[in-house]
Amino acid sequence: MSLLPSCREVSRLLSEALDSGRPLGLHVRIHLGVCEVCRRVLAQFALIRHGAARAPEGGPDLSPEAKARLRRSLDGR
Amino acid sequence: MTDPNTWVDAYGTRLFRYALSRVRDESSAEDLIQDTFLTALKSRDRFKGDSSELTWMTGILRNKIFEFYRRQAKDVPLLPSDEESDPQNEFFDGRHWSASSAPRDWGGEPARKAETAEFSAALRRCLDALSENVARAFILREMEGLAPKDAAEALGVPPGHLAVLLYRARLRLRRCLERSHFAPEAA
Ligand SMILES: [Zn+2]
Repeated sequence: MSLLPSCREVSRLLSEALDSGRPLGLHVRIHLGVCEVCRRVLAQFALIRHGAARAPEGGPDLSPEAKARLRRSLDGR
Repeated sequence: MTDPNTWVDAYGTRLFRYALSRVRDESSAEDLIQDTFLTALKSRDRFKGDSSELTWMTGILRNKIFEFYRRQAKDVPLLPSDEESDPQNEFFDGRHWSASSAPRDWGGEPARKAETAEFSAALRRCLDALSENVARAFILREMEGLAPKDAAEALGVPPGHLAVLLYRARLRLRRCLERSHFAPEAA
């Protein structure tokens, strides 16, 4: 058992830090200093958050049948 | 406020897409926007005009979606398989990233690639591949911007479990988005 956290542990702590807003602990920062892959993961988790918050809505159009059903339900009021 | 007869054409598709990306089922999405229009009709006099009508209706729809999640969390308890499987073994080999899942470099200007319509489409496909609760945790936290406490409450899970769901979501979305959008392997 190493004193320093593993990539497995660090990636979980990176995800938790995104939610808690608390700064990363010293052991995690030391790991990031020597582990390029986990640095990448940190940047990628943050990028996914950035993109998800801004993602423009896409997807299928409302079908003509569904539109007709919605109009009927509004008319009934 | 505009004539309610114009709402379906003016806002129907926008609201439908919003709902569909969050509930993943067309008929539930349609029910939610029907409910939204009816609530908007009833509370028309509360519309102050300090936001657009679409923004106001989207706010109503968001609350309908949270209620829908809460109802389902009550009716359908978490599946044991969802609870038990340890997804980390898909990604790690002992203490380290496994060779097949090790995160790759996403190349130049990934931030720009995260703001495109292609990113949104890839994100929707990747979310569809997640289990329901894992996807919802991510949607509430990262797309709706709820605080962790409120997201946990809407899903009917303890806050510690929300963290587990979000971690699974991030690991899986990271890999899925890498393969489909940020760094697809050369064919
Ligand atoms: Zn590492």
